[in-house]
Amino acid sequence: MSEMWINMGPQHPMTHGLWNLRVRIEGEIILDADPEMGYLHRGIEKISEDRHYNEIITLMDRTCYVAGIAWEHLYIQAAEQALHVTPPERAEYIRVLTEEMQRLASHIMWYAAFVQDLGLMSPFLYGMRDRDLLLDIFQSFTGGRLTYEYMRVGGVRNDLPPGTTAQVRQTMDWLMDRFVEYDRLCLGSDIFRRRCDDIGVLKANDCVTYGVTGPMLRAAGVARDLRKDRPYAVYDQLEFDVARADSADVTGRYLVRLQEMRQSVRILRQVVDWLDGHPGPVMAEHVPRWLGAPYAPIGREGYLVKRSYPKGLGFSAIEEPHGEAAAYVVNEGGEHPYRVKFRSPVFVNLSAVKKYLVGYRVADIPPILGSVDVCVGEVDR
Amino acid sequence: MATDELNQRIQQRFPDRGITVEPFEGLAGRVLFPPAAALELFRFLRDDRSFHHLSFVAGVDWKSEREVVYALWSDTERDYLLLSTRVDASDPHLESATSVWPSANWHEREAWEMVGIRFDHHPDLRHLLMPDGYEFHPLLRSFKLHEPEELEVKVRHV
Amino acid sequence: MSAPSASVSAPAPSPSASGTPSSAALEPAVPFIEIEGLRTEQFIPAAKEALSSLIAEQAQGKLIRPVFNWAGRNSLFPLHWGLACCAIEFASAFGARFDAERFGIVPRSSPRQCDLLIVNGTVTWKVAHKLITLYEQMPEPKWVIAMGNCATGGGPFRTAYSVVPGVDKLVPVDIYIAGCPPRPEALLDGILKLEELIRERGE
Repeated sequence: MSEMWINMGPQHPMTHGLWNLRVRIEGEIILDADPEMGYLHRGIEKISEDRHYNEIITLMDRTCYVAGIAWEHLYIQAAEQALHVTPPERAEYIRVLTEEMQRLASHIMWYAAFVQDLGLMSPFLYGMRDRDLLLDIFQSFTGGRLTYEYMRVGGVRNDLPPGTTAQVRQTMDWLMDRFVEYDRLCLGSDIFRRRCDDIGVLKANDCVTYGVTGPMLRAAGVARDLRKDRPYAVYDQLEFDVARADSADVTGRYLVRLQEMRQSVRILRQVVDWLDGHPGPVMAEHVPRWLGAPYAPIGREGYLVKRSYPKGLGFSAIEEPHGEAAAYVVNEGGEHPYRVKFRSPVFVNLSAVKKYLVGYRVADIPPILGSVDVCVGEVDR
Repeated sequence: MATDELNQRIQQRFPDRGITVEPFEGLAGRVLFPPAAALELFRFLRDDRSFHHLSFVAGVDWKSEREVVYALWSDTERDYLLLSTRVDASDPHLESATSVWPSANWHEREAWEMVGIRFDHHPDLRHLLMPDGYEFHPLLRSFKLHEPEELEVKVRHV
Repeated sequence: MSAPSASVSAPAPSPSASGTPSSAALEPAVPFIEIEGLRTEQFIPAAKEALSSLIAEQAQGKLIRPVFNWAGRNSLFPLHWGLACCAIEFASAFGARFDAERFGIVPRSSPRQCDLLIVNGTVTWKVAHKLITLYEQMPEPKWVIAMGNCATGGGPFRTAYSVVPGVDKLVPVDIYIAGCPPRPEALLDGILKLEELIRERGE
């Protein structure tokens, strides 16, 4: 039988975003795969060089649009290290609250989109319903559904309004019951099991060699989670387990994500308990006021130009919903960063696509790539 | 201190090669090395110091020279390590890390595309994010951004 | 109680019709069936009457356009294509809470089945020619909605070297929706505005 290359994308219901998967097939069997990226390359790292430190937060939300606030957290940690600012503890807890809620929202979005690809329509409706409840909480204190611009160098923009913690508790109780439903819908479905079991296997050795992180790595049995291994913010004071599975296939990734959602709920319950008992400032005292000022105050035009700030390098890494994300900020003393570099987990997970696609059938592509949880915004940046 | 121990080991293994280790807040350290020592250092760090995971490769343009930054992660030490080397801007090239860490493939393609650093013996050094045939390296400091109105005027004059 | 019934009457003067409104009132260019606002039980006889007259009128090419206009604007099929952030809100609009399908909006995966291109995100120069290809593959009549600030004018990325500052540089845009990203309600409002626009144009 003759071989041929086929393009899946950039407009294809499988891609979940703007990229092109080229696969070489013989009959139904995939022989080779070559992803073509860059259709959503917006030059975020270059634009960041022309922006004040706080203005970059706007771009961070749009870098990964399903996990915006996690990327804000990533960037803010690196920027604070580069600028030598320490946030107060309450701000750290609020950041963890937002990051875990974002992890829930991102995983639910993944669940909705992934299971729909397999031909099951109701999980999409249930998933979007539950995700909207999380976005309602976000909206109550950040004002946005997707793009929040909530964190600042030195803390967060505003404290939580009264009633937020009660709303979080209520939503968590609701979600814990829904996870049981999710499992019944998927793991109890014959279609789901037949399409996902033993598909897209990527063993632990290959994961480490190709730099694959996140739920894909944990589904292969490696319990690497930066929240546990290198605790940032206040994760060392919170109790949770690292989700893992051993099957290394699509079902394993599903199980890991569902388990992670339950752990996020566990973290969130601890965080809101702490927040209720510890009022305090959410912004550091010694933050340079000019950070993020887009123009000089009237009558003080020289004000912006002459300032300088101690040089510094910032590095941070967080466990984003998709995997390990890292940021590197070079501060050369000006009001803009000299260079900002982001490490996207999906970027690396996709670069190994040949490893977990070759040998399977064309019809297996949607479940396999769905289980990667592709967010093209952070791949192309 | 992990940084001091790492420094000792590196000085034992690579005496007089100009490799220095400086402390970095929150990390195992920052290793500055000359480009010629790249592959040996990479293999040493991967095999003897268990840095099996390459987090990213970043290029930084310092006008007269260009810096390549590597971030490594070790599961046993549970810490990150930054590597940094500088190559001359007139002919920026460096040995590719893909033979040590295969995950460097796309990172180096991106670093070549954005900052213009060539990676020798890279298996597939072509455009990743920009279309084929794109001539510029956008993350160089000499590459300036414009408001779209300014661009439109330029196009009209052409 | 005056139940509306299907009747052939003079059309409302539209700016796109040839001639002035006075000349249009003298000579009805296109017979118009009032099927707006019919209740369900009235609809079937009205549709039957309309169809029977349609067959008679179609030979003269007079009637088909308003019927197609009514049918088309009430069942807009957007292309299932997620570009960037706005695609998430686009998906939310089809979720349980906002339920865009109650307006007859069903996303389709093939451009051949679509009459609405919702540009939901940043358009880069690399994807520009693919977007134009998709637009050209859609059958006439077709409409374009620029959803969000990026599609409208480049948004926060307008200065970037790889971003098209506004999708109207590539394809004609009918409706612009502001927001970064627009809420699902805003998207639904934009689609309803587009329906009004289609009715006004009478295409």
